[in-house]
Amino acid sequence: MTGLTTVTATAPGPRAVPRHGEGSGAPPRWRTPLLFCGPFAVLFLAMYVAPIVYAAVSSLFAVRRSGLGLAPPVKVFDPLGNYVQALGDKAFVASLGRVALFGVVQVPVMLVLALGLALLIDSRSARGKGLFRLAGFLPYAVPGVSAALVWSFMYSPQSSPVNHLLRPLGLGIPFFDDGTVLWSVANIVTWSWTGYNMIIIYAALQSIPAEVLEAARMDGASALRIAWNIKIPAVRGAIVLTAVFSIIGSAQLFNEPTVLQPISGGAVPSTFTPIMSAQAAVAAGNYPYAAAQSVILAVLVGAVSLAFFTLTGRRAKA
Amino acid sequence: MKKPMTRTVTMTGALALGLVLAGCSDTGSSATGATGGGGKATVTFWGWAPGYEDAVKAFNDGHPDIQVTYQQVQPGAKGGYQKLLNAVQAGNAPCLAQLGYETLPSFAAQGALQDVARYATAAKDEFQQAAWKAVSLGDAVYGAPVDTGPMALFYNKELFDSLGLKPPATWEEYRTAAEKIHASDPDRYISSPYMDYDYAGLAWQAGAGWFGVDGDSWKVTLNSEANKKVADYWQGLIGKGLISGAPMYDQAWYGGLGDGGIATVVGAVWQAGVIKSGAKDGSGKWAVAPMPQWSAGEAKAGNAGGSSTAVLKGCKTPEAAWKFAHWMSTDRDAYGTLVDKAALYPAAKALLDLPQLTADDPYFGGQKIYKVFAEESAKVDTGWTWGPIMTKTTADLNDGLGRAWAGKGTITDALRAAQEKTVAELNGQGLKVSG
Repeated sequence: MTGLTTVTATAPGPRAVPRHGEGSGAPPRWRTPLLFCGPFAVLFLAMYVAPIVYAAVSSLFAVRRSGLGLAPPVKVFDPLGNYVQALGDKAFVASLGRVALFGVVQVPVMLVLALGLALLIDSRSARGKGLFRLAGFLPYAVPGVSAALVWSFMYSPQSSPVNHLLRPLGLGIPFFDDGTVLWSVANIVTWSWTGYNMIIIYAALQSIPAEVLEAARMDGASALRIAWNIKIPAVRGAIVLTAVFSIIGSAQLFNEPTVLQPISGGAVPSTFTPIMSAQAAVAAGNYPYAAAQSVILAVLVGAVSLAFFTLTGRRAKA
Repeated sequence: MKKPMTRTVTMTGALALGLVLAGCSDTGSSATGATGGGGKATVTFWGWAPGYEDAVKAFNDGHPDIQVTYQQVQPGAKGGYQKLLNAVQAGNAPCLAQLGYETLPSFAAQGALQDVARYATAAKDEFQQAAWKAVSLGDAVYGAPVDTGPMALFYNKELFDSLGLKPPATWEEYRTAAEKIHASDPDRYISSPYMDYDYAGLAWQAGAGWFGVDGDSWKVTLNSEANKKVADYWQGLIGKGLISGAPMYDQAWYGGLGDGGIATVVGAVWQAGVIKSGAKDGSGKWAVAPMPQWSAGEAKAGNAGGSSTAVLKGCKTPEAAWKFAHWMSTDRDAYGTLVDKAALYPAAKALLDLPQLTADDPYFGGQKIYKVFAEESAKVDTGWTWGPIMTKTTADLNDGLGRAWAGKGTITDALRAAQEKTVAELNGQGLKVSG
């Protein structure tokens, strides 16, 4: 949803707004924008900034109990303790590596698919655009957990219709082998999100001026050439945006592996992704340790997103 | 395009704000459970067992001075406990919660429970000793025991009869039955894998404790010799391919229970309710026998589950909370409904002669199944102790158990890993661990 707003909002430009403000009397000048920003600012501070600060602060404390631990635990200020523990926690570090690998492979595959679909729907010869647009977007409308449940049925060794069909041929896909389970998860994520990204890119394609495309066509450029030399460069911003969303999404992987966990035969451990690892720490009653893991994840995601923006931005200027 | 978008955004903002405010006011009233204006004590109760809602309604009808509000949450292991702990952490927890005996010490260790010994101690002798022990630590009492989970062997009698098998009296015979069943059809298995607390019940029967208390330090014994014996036995069955891959409580499991693909469930009394409602095709085929023994002639049973109605920290009306909890565990009519709906087996001694517990059950071929469980109940060792971070311990254990049952790694490895991780976490939090 955020993606749609951002993309469309950038197109028309905010030129009309200040002139409107100048026309009326003095007080509304600051009151109106404040009124409009107020709800956002309040929610942003209360629902976003405050929890982050709370988590960051609580990650600086260590849970300390004594004896049998039947008295309530006390929190001791130990600013680095949880971070040292997290970075030495093999399961947590492995989970970071796992989502990194996931992002490196799944994000490009999904975005190439999304871009391809968007270009196909956008092409002049496409029929039934509305139908395909809807069909592509539909998986996104299925809540993540429900989608994962349906896919778990498709993967489960007991019920998989795919393997049932392959069995007479002596074949079978090991969805829950240690080496393949990450890609089983990637498949679900790709299925769910390709259409969403397709819509963002498709919306950006709509803003390409018709005369540019027409000029190219009159110069004799083929449809492929137009797509490569005009359309793709024109929607570059949308692609970067979807890429950043997808990187963040990969880092926050949780629903799909959690749903698959009980049927995965141990291939999805309780610390499969960083967020699952933080959840496991909460389960042990160690909230500060979970907070530290979350902070590390957030910092890493922020750094990767920033690096990605800088990299793609620099290349655009060059 | 722009205008409608702005409007949507503001509307969403307003809506969200409204929700936030509603959320605040909601927690304000329900959480603390303060005495209302009319002198009526209010108690909020979170649970998930079928039938609890009926009990609450019956209680409210008969007690004009106390108003209990029931809220259904996800079953504990599926997120309910997490939600409860988060609520306690946030200071807006309900007064009462359904809490399994295995989780109660972990909650107590996090300071999430409230001692109601003042009101509760007088009721001590009304409950089975083991159940009372499960809700009290030292002199503190944290709630009322509701049910216990004595285990027995659920078996597909129709299948056993057709193969000329009798319910196995020993684990040795159980293995032989497993081989015969699998030989009769490669899609038939003796059982599904057992995870966390279902597996704990198997260890419990063998006297293979997981935790112990030694003075003021914990003993962690997940990888003891006794536990290895149990692990090796089931490992043997896995090695021979005699265990189904269908996880318990999965659709594939219910399917197998119905069509003979899974021939037995070694499970607690409440599994009767799970099996009946989940595997309707199995009606008339199933029966219940005592748990197989490690040596012929022994009489030992395990326990899996059993829960309490616990009083959470921050409850402003602990006396009213206790009154309801005690009532639900001891009222004959209310408990009768719980037996019918959830196959609960009462922790209160006076309820053991409920008519519901002596009835024939057509699902189990007209067998009086609670008679078996009453006998099993007497064979349960009352010395079992749960650890202080069970959610974490069982999550780690399940990581390894899942692999072991799938033929990767062994159950012994799973127990060893869970042992190491549990000890590390306990040490990390500053708890004493010995041995």
